[in-house]
Amino acid sequence: MDMAVDMAIDAAPNGDASAAAPAVAAAHTSTARLAQIAESLKLEHQLVRVPLEHLKKTIRSNYRLAEREFTAVLNSVAEASGSSDSRSMDETLTRLSSLVTRLQGLKRKLEEGGKVENVQVQRCRARLEHLGSVADADKLDDWKDARLNRILVDYLLRMSYYDSAKNLAETADIQELADIDVFFEAKRVIESLRNKDLAPALVWCAENKPRLKKSKSKLEFQLRLQEFIELVRANEHMKAIFYARRYLAPWAATNMKEMQRVVTTLAFRHNTECSIYKVLFEPTQWDYLVEQFKQEFCRLFGMTNEPLLNIYLQAGLTALKTPLCYKEACSKEDPLSQEGFRRLAEPLPFSKLHHSKLVCYISKKPMDHENPPLVLPNGHVYSTKALEEMSRQNDGRITCPRTGEVCNFTELVKAFIS
Amino acid sequence: MELDLIQDAFDRVSKKQKLSSSKTQQLVRQIEHEIEQAIMKMQSTENATSCPELKQILADLKNKLNEFSPMNQLETLQKDLNITLGKYVKVTEKSFNPDISKAYRNVDFDPHIVNQIIASHFYRQGLFDLGDCFISEANEPEAAALKTPFLEMYGILESMRRRNLELALNWASSHSEWLAQNGSNLELKLHQLQFVEILQNDSVQNALSYVRKHLAPNASAHKVEIPKLMGCLVWSGKLHKSPYADLLSPNHWEKLADEFMQQFCSCLGQSYQSPLSIAIAAGIHGLPTLLKLESVMAVKKQEWQAMKQLPVPIDLSKDFQFHSIFVCPVLREQGSDENPPMLMPCGHVLSKQSIVKLSKSSTRPFKCPYCPLEASVAQCRQLHF
Repeated sequence: MDMAVDMAIDAAPNGDASAAAPAVAAAHTSTARLAQIAESLKLEHQLVRVPLEHLKKTIRSNYRLAEREFTAVLNSVAEASGSSDSRSMDETLTRLSSLVTRLQGLKRKLEEGGKVENVQVQRCRARLEHLGSVADADKLDDWKDARLNRILVDYLLRMSYYDSAKNLAETADIQELADIDVFFEAKRVIESLRNKDLAPALVWCAENKPRLKKSKSKLEFQLRLQEFIELVRANEHMKAIFYARRYLAPWAATNMKEMQRVVTTLAFRHNTECSIYKVLFEPTQWDYLVEQFKQEFCRLFGMTNEPLLNIYLQAGLTALKTPLCYKEACSKEDPLSQEGFRRLAEPLPFSKLHHSKLVCYISKKPMDHENPPLVLPNGHVYSTKALEEMSRQNDGRITCPRTGEVCNFTELVKAFIS
Repeated sequence: MELDLIQDAFDRVSKKQKLSSSKTQQLVRQIEHEIEQAIMKMQSTENATSCPELKQILADLKNKLNEFSPMNQLETLQKDLNITLGKYVKVTEKSFNPDISKAYRNVDFDPHIVNQIIASHFYRQGLFDLGDCFISEANEPEAAALKTPFLEMYGILESMRRRNLELALNWASSHSEWLAQNGSNLELKLHQLQFVEILQNDSVQNALSYVRKHLAPNASAHKVEIPKLMGCLVWSGKLHKSPYADLLSPNHWEKLADEFMQQFCSCLGQSYQSPLSIAIAAGIHGLPTLLKLESVMAVKKQEWQAMKQLPVPIDLSKDFQFHSIFVCPVLREQGSDENPPMLMPCGHVLSKQSIVKLSKSSTRPFKCPYCPLEASVAQCRQLHF
């Protein structure tokens, strides 16, 4: 099973990461490093997609504005010229002048809209340029720091810690790379939902109706259900029934069971003890709505469902997790030596190695064919370079750092580990 | 990744957007112009209230507008723009992985733990205001545990930046036992640097008394360094021309600041680099493999979620190797307390289980899988990495 998966992994499309590596070890490392960077760029879909979706939205709304105004103006002209009764010139002049005013208003709005579009286009471009700048080897560390900060800002925004997000974006100078304004749009809706106000959420659904429909979203339906329940809670039964007829019926075909369950609440009071229906009146329903909205919002904008931090942290902990991390002797440099990280990593799978990877206890450097392991008479193993250094400084004598036993450098034996 | 292709596709979007925007505004001007023309015609007609005249002007206007049909033009512009946008979206979906959360396991990350990790990270980076802001927004007062020690550390680093070693020396002397136990000569290095500072900016006399006060008491430990410093006294005022010129290099300050930070963090039981940075960097390294694994494995969601060990290695660079992990070349299993690595007389290393299997009984010698040498179980000794 392992072998099959291994081969499949190698055969799966991997961009240009599988370029033939030259024999020289150093060159191989830098090729591998470049390949690794190229792979990591592929993970940045969200960075590029979100400003694009934002731009598309602005373009759409500008278009709809122009469409509306054109239609109104053209209709007005058609009506004026088509009417059979005699109109005075003054009336017609007034009408035409008002159309001109309307067009001038449209011109102004389109100019402003155009400016917004330009800003968003610039942001899209800035993101692409930022990805390209990873090729600049001198600034690579800064680029990586910026990436960590971007991931943190994404987390802060999703958790609604807006002040911290703004603070970090400014401090790290990554404002162009963060989607703070997009999240602010969501902030309004989320805060109103937390205040049990459904109006902004419903407006948002209306604004994004075609795309929500395309993705078969039930968000609007769930918001309407909540509105219905609030009417029932206030004992406004007639209003609730009319509301259901108008707003819930259109969704009945695809959501019959859900609708029936909610409509049945009419038969109960809001402080009913019946568990199936009691839960519908709980304040936790609002939290559920907030989560649903967040998910739809992220989906529309091309953002991942989970915060980037969680995704990368999970992957990282899995990659680092070995049984040795949970032992007392775990090096403090390993993140998994910290209690918090250990707890987070508990439900995650362990990493796997196919070949031995050894680290010298003394120098913390890898023990490989350039620095092979040497075995002391007591069975402890250290790297050749570290032991040679120790021998040089102590007239050929070796003291095991862990047991204190002393021996001669000549007594050491080579171990061959593949 | 073909960034050029993506940028080209976006340039096309940008061009189309500008075109659409300016043409739309032009259409508005055109409509406006026609209507204004009609108004002017009406106002210049002699026969002010003549119905047919009025009708004619309006009919002309309507026809004119239909002629260049602004609605159709608007629609066409938008359609074109949408096509270009659609193409760009396709390019991005091909070049990037459109869903990196595919390999995500639905385990609950306790938000309190995550918040504590983030707050510690901010304090470690020296972002104290941000850390405080975060803690109040996230409502995690206990997350400020590491704030005080890191404040101290940055205070010392700041004074070192201003070439004042007093705080650093205080810290080093109050932790001299710990430093000695961990094989660090930080205190000595600080004293050396301070000595050079005094020699450069103060008097030879003071420099000498500095050595007498701080370095002489422990002279036996500093056999090499003290003579060097004494030698500097001879060249005082011309140190840059002396054989000891390298002591003046500003590098020493940077390196010493780094070393101080390393020792400080280590004494605190913390890593030198932010653990969050390391974990995230490991994640970025390993996520492509995990995503490929998830898509190739084609297992049910439950199997993926319940996995105890990855079936495939994630290749992390040397920076992420914190432990020695032995993998038996025969059984491909990781070494453990119950199954430790054993060294055979030929120098090859196998796991204990492999050796037991190969020997079939515990006294007969067996052949090493990698070379013709034979060995018995008793000749193999356990290794400790």
